[in-house]
Amino acid sequence: MTLVRVMMTFRKYLAFGLIGLMTGGTTSVLAAGGEATGLPQLDITTWPNQLFWLVVTFGIGYIIMSRMITPRIGNVIEQRGRTIQDDLNRAKEAEAEAQTMKAEFEASLDDARAKAADAAQKAMSEAKAKAEEAEADLSAKLAKKTKTAETKLAKIRDEALANINEVASEVTQDAVKAVTGMTVTKAEATKSVAKLAKLGAGQEA
Amino acid sequence: MHSPVEQFAIKVLFALNLFGFDIQFTNSALFMVLAVLVSATFLYFAMAPAATVPGRMQGLAEMLYEFVSDMVRSNVGSEGRPYFPFVFTLFVFVLFSNLLGLIPYSYTTTSQIIVTFAMAMFIFIGVTLIALFKHGLHFFSFFVPAGAPKVLIPFLVLIEVISYFVRPVSLSVRLFANMLAGHTMLKVFGGLAVMIASAGGVFVAGSILPLVAIIGLTGLEILVAVLQAYVFTILTCMYLNDALHLH
Repeated sequence: MTLVRVMMTFRKYLAFGLIGLMTGGTTSVLAAGGEATGLPQLDITTWPNQLFWLVVTFGIGYIIMSRMITPRIGNVIEQRGRTIQDDLNRAKEAEAEAQTMKAEFEASLDDARAKAADAAQKAMSEAKAKAEEAEADLSAKLAKKTKTAETKLAKIRDEALANINEVASEVTQDAVKAVTGMTVTKAEATKSVAKLAKLGAGQEA
Repeated sequence: MHSPVEQFAIKVLFALNLFGFDIQFTNSALFMVLAVLVSATFLYFAMAPAATVPGRMQGLAEMLYEFVSDMVRSNVGSEGRPYFPFVFTLFVFVLFSNLLGLIPYSYTTTSQIIVTFAMAMFIFIGVTLIALFKHGLHFFSFFVPAGAPKVLIPFLVLIEVISYFVRPVSLSVRLFANMLAGHTMLKVFGGLAVMIASAGGVFVAGSILPLVAIIGLTGLEILVAVLQAYVFTILTCMYLNDALHLH
């Protein structure tokens, strides 16, 4: 880059020198009576001709560029821009569509999930109900059995108690006969046993 | 020994007459014709496929178009659109003149002060007329800098007017001097190589040095050719912007 800068500076001073030569040349041209010794660029006799050709070539160039070249390139670039924009729009639409589809899919997935959870809940509660029912049934049956057993037990006890009183009154009859030789009726014996039993029960209580 | 500025001499290739006017065809005229012919042919055939996905040549043509189009858009704005074909023609004409001139034995029309000055004057007058038609007498406010102290205004207006009228000179001399200096420098180094070689003996090998320098210089000149075409065009855009928007 330094080399380029050095060369540029050199060119600049060369240009200054040449322009100096040019002005010097002009005076020498004038001094020598039209004999060109300086820069050929200052030979004004060539100027009208160059101006003519510049106008012709640049004019034709302008017509070609403005009528043929620039509209053509502009059109191609514009067309490309439109194509790109169209493609972008289409991509955007497709993306939106995909988004909707995704949302729909997710909604149906959620739905299915909810349904599954519902079904599971229902099955669970059904099973629980059944189990509870079975349990209740079983406990009822057991209670009934217990009650039957209890009743039976009470009956046997009552019977046993009744028997005891009878046995006691017979023993009492026999004991009174053996001790005193008096005969006690069965009814009397039973009565006094019941009285004593009652007394005992009262004491127990 | 030939002078390094002899290459700029105008040579008549053949005589030509138009209704009695002498329009002899010279080397300068030939290369102006070639600049238009080569650029138009290149752009026409490069754009022939008009493909959505461009090939190399079409890509190059489009790049050239978009380069100038961006330049006009960013420097002049949307109002510069009608002048785009002119700016494009100007850029292509100067660019191809500069580049064709770098081919050995060819001629550089942009090294002719009359050619660059004529273009600069056309731009200067055109831009001034555009400004006058668009803004009328208000155009002259362009020469009065805004917010300057009242005492300084006559002085500043003088400077502004001078700098305005110097525009065509600086615009044309910049391009002309660059082309002139570049081609002269190439010729000087070429002459140096011949001079060293003509000394004979071991000096013949020494003539390699200026030849190597010429290779580097040619690269530099290609850069300058493109750069000066760009500078010429962008200054035109700026002048056009001044005319349309008055600062």
